[in-house]
Amino acid sequence: MPNVSLTINGKKISQPIEARTLLVQLLRDQLSLTGTHVGCDTSQCGCCTVHLNGKGVKSCAVLALSCQDSVITTIEGLAEGETLHPMQQAFREGHALQCGFCTPGMIMAGIDMVKRKGYELDEKTVREELEGNLCRCTGYHTIVKAIQAGARAMKNL
Amino acid sequence: MSASIQSAKIGDSVIRKEDHRLVTGAGCFSDDVNLPGQAYSVMLRSPHAHAKVLGIHTKNALKCPGVISILTGQDLITDKIKAIPHRPFSPHPADIMLTNSDGSEMFMAPHYPLVVDKVRHVGEAVAMVIAESLAAAKDGAEAIEVDYEILPSVTDTVSAAKKNAPRVFDTAPSNVCLDAETGDREKTEQAFAKAAKIVSFTTWIPRITGVPLEPRAAVGEYTDNGRHYTLHAGTSGAWRTQMDIAIMLGVHEDHVRVITKDVGGHFGTRGMLYGEFLLVVWAARRVGRPVKWTCDRQEAFVSDYQARDLAVEAELALDEKGHFLAIRGSNISNAGGHTTNFSPLRKGVEIMSTIYRMPAAFFRARGVVSNTAPTRPYRSSGRPEVIYVMERLIDLAALACGIDRVTLRRINLLQNHEMPYTNPFGMVFSDGDYHQSMEKALRMADWDGFEQRRQEAKTRGQCRGIGIANYVDTASGVPRERAEMTLRADGTVEVIIGTVSTGQGHETSFAQLVTDWLGVPFDQVKILTGDTQFVKFGGGTHSGRGLRLASIVIHSACQTIIKKGKRIAALLLKCEPSVIEFKEGVFYQKGELGQESQGGPVSLTQVAEASMGLTDLPEELQGPLRAIGDETVTVAEFPYGCQVVEVEIDPQLGSLKIINYTAVDDVGRAVNPAIIHGQVHGGIAQGVGQALMEQAHYDPVSGQLLSGSFMDYAMPRASDFPFFNAQYIEIPSKTHPLGMRPAGEGGTAPALGVMINAICHALQDYGVKHVEMPATSERIWQAIQQAQATKTS
Ligand code: FES
Ligand code: FES
Repeated sequence: MPNVSLTINGKKISQPIEARTLLVQLLRDQLSLTGTHVGCDTSQCGCCTVHLNGKGVKSCAVLALSCQDSVITTIEGLAEGETLHPMQQAFREGHALQCGFCTPGMIMAGIDMVKRKGYELDEKTVREELEGNLCRCTGYHTIVKAIQAGARAMKNL
Repeated sequence: MSASIQSAKIGDSVIRKEDHRLVTGAGCFSDDVNLPGQAYSVMLRSPHAHAKVLGIHTKNALKCPGVISILTGQDLITDKIKAIPHRPFSPHPADIMLTNSDGSEMFMAPHYPLVVDKVRHVGEAVAMVIAESLAAAKDGAEAIEVDYEILPSVTDTVSAAKKNAPRVFDTAPSNVCLDAETGDREKTEQAFAKAAKIVSFTTWIPRITGVPLEPRAAVGEYTDNGRHYTLHAGTSGAWRTQMDIAIMLGVHEDHVRVITKDVGGHFGTRGMLYGEFLLVVWAARRVGRPVKWTCDRQEAFVSDYQARDLAVEAELALDEKGHFLAIRGSNISNAGGHTTNFSPLRKGVEIMSTIYRMPAAFFRARGVVSNTAPTRPYRSSGRPEVIYVMERLIDLAALACGIDRVTLRRINLLQNHEMPYTNPFGMVFSDGDYHQSMEKALRMADWDGFEQRRQEAKTRGQCRGIGIANYVDTASGVPRERAEMTLRADGTVEVIIGTVSTGQGHETSFAQLVTDWLGVPFDQVKILTGDTQFVKFGGGTHSGRGLRLASIVIHSACQTIIKKGKRIAALLLKCEPSVIEFKEGVFYQKGELGQESQGGPVSLTQVAEASMGLTDLPEELQGPLRAIGDETVTVAEFPYGCQVVEVEIDPQLGSLKIINYTAVDDVGRAVNPAIIHGQVHGGIAQGVGQALMEQAHYDPVSGQLLSGSFMDYAMPRASDFPFFNAQYIEIPSKTHPLGMRPAGEGGTAPALGVMINAICHALQDYGVKHVEMPATSERIWQAIQQAQATKTS
């Protein structure tokens, strides 16, 4: 079995894996990082979004072996101890989740959006950028607002 | 802001207790559960819509590396596993009964988790493969050979009802399982005979599927010692699942434990037992180790209980002034491949006239089976369908009679003084100010300013339309609920309750009730649910019954705690319990609040301590203070409201944009406004999804589900919506002891009707009378082309 070495949430990991293992499977099944969710099998829902070398990716569409030497951040790696990341805080304060299943992916996608588009995100941009993230509970209203609020709060990071 | 310094009473938008774990990835959804030594399973599903299973050959599959066992329907029979105990109607005295009009019994047939005779829809499970890994189980499933004798199939609702349609159950005389009549035929005929105007409308409310974003998953365990089964799975109420599994296994409920933690959405889709939940615990016994199953999304599309799918023919009779005289017609509901649930048929037809004054009505209501996935209630079950029909009829009538649509509604909408109102099907609407909600929605949406906006849009070549729909939602469901409350010595209040949150935030809103009524800090209230180890009863989350019934049983438990607390406080204060009063978590002698006389006041925590510490208490007051609220609520609630939607259509492309979406709901008394708004927003999105894009599309010839993944099944996305303009009103319900009305389904109930009304209004100038759902850009474009072709010919 081949081996993969990478850094996940600041921790170095070296793990033997089957070559066909997807990044999301490595995270969930082998490393018990179950905050990254799987909502589909066609890379549409965005529940599995993580940051790979600082960029948002759908971890269900990435082979774990291709992540050799990369740096990965998952939803579990955002908060600093008890202090939530501003985007997490914005979701929590803005009631931007109901069942919470899409939430980790939404938060990771939101942060990625800020990195690419800046701290002042207009409604249209956020809605368009959420093309790859589905939510069945909220009607997106509070999610869009939370991402805008989280983006502004990230300025002070 | 931390929850502890926030006010957390009834009416406060408290930040939810559940959200810290959910935003940090620390939730525990079904697939997050893994047990030591677990095996993995996959279901081999039928590729055919209708076929006899002549043989299942597992020899090669069993040779695949890692495959442990393969189970089939025959094994279920050998082990005497019973069929899934479906209840086609949930019993509630407020709903009408539907029975066959010829007096015969409604047709019901057993539904097994694995096929025992023939497959009745694409995706029905034929065999279960258990293996050392998921990949091995998949390899095993591929190596199974099944001999099918393919039979002709029928998926379409109206076709399925026909006499000569392929027969889904050989033992039934036809696919029509239920053929009922409701209302007053004679009175209705008389009303139609003297009508000045009759408008008719024939439509089909498409089949959709609920798509909770978390796919189903389950882990089953069995211990020989004690013959005990444990199921870990997302359910809408662990207790009902426990009961059903015990029935199927033929064991006492005490031998089954069901644990539900976080659940990634429900909407009705998770409301009945799924065969796979039984299979994992049964398989665990068979193979002697835990067995896990996780549903793929594509598998979910073919095997989740689907929804809606109602064919309607309706006629509305009006007098020359526009008063409604009567409504009549026929509804056919498609239950799919098994006789699982006919509740949406009833929930719809019983309020066919919705919240309008209707002197007479008569409907035929049929439930059919077909070669499609079984259906069950989905958000606001049955009501969005008929509200859509009624609201379309009104708009069509307005055009036909030359009366303004809002005026026509004003004339016929029930007035306050007419309540309680018995509708022509026998449903009693207790109370509601329907005019207030409609007028408020009209103002919020600036209905009167529409013409100007339309003209402006026209200059850009765009067609603007505005639509309106009123709704009423009959909240009934399982009438009983139970809360067990314990006051611990440290002042913590634990509440055990049977309804499970599937996103509604019960841990928060239920705790707010306790904080308000007992004066206990919000942080010290713990809502415990989802484990039959301690949950002894619970009706489940459906039909707006979560907060509606929880509030009643929690209130009653709080009252008992206060009553018992007064007796203890009286002992502490050396006075009679009758002179003790309770306010904001403090017991005091009448008229002495705030004074330090006679050792009072006594806090709830002190009472709790005393109940644990004092040895000279009467027996029933010793130990932690406990109370049980257990009530059977036989009245239904009728939340209502109004939505107004403004759309813009590009006639060249047929593309549509929602410009403004206004919603008004009467929630009676708001507990957590943020949660209520969330419910309304989410409900709207699901309704709009159905109106504009969603469809579980079965090929009429092959019976294949053509929309079987997120690539084909159109899901509403963020870019499909504007910010919603939603407000609620609080007119306390007269039938709910605390004035509350459910808020979970009001977003969806009018959404189908209001969307199609807005679209048809936008296209009015083109001569378009109607666009069927889902009103995709293509359909809208076609409707314009057809209307224009008719005009010129
Ligand atoms: S699980 Fe990766 S996009 Fe759906
Ligand atoms: S909060 Fe449930 S899917 Fe988004």
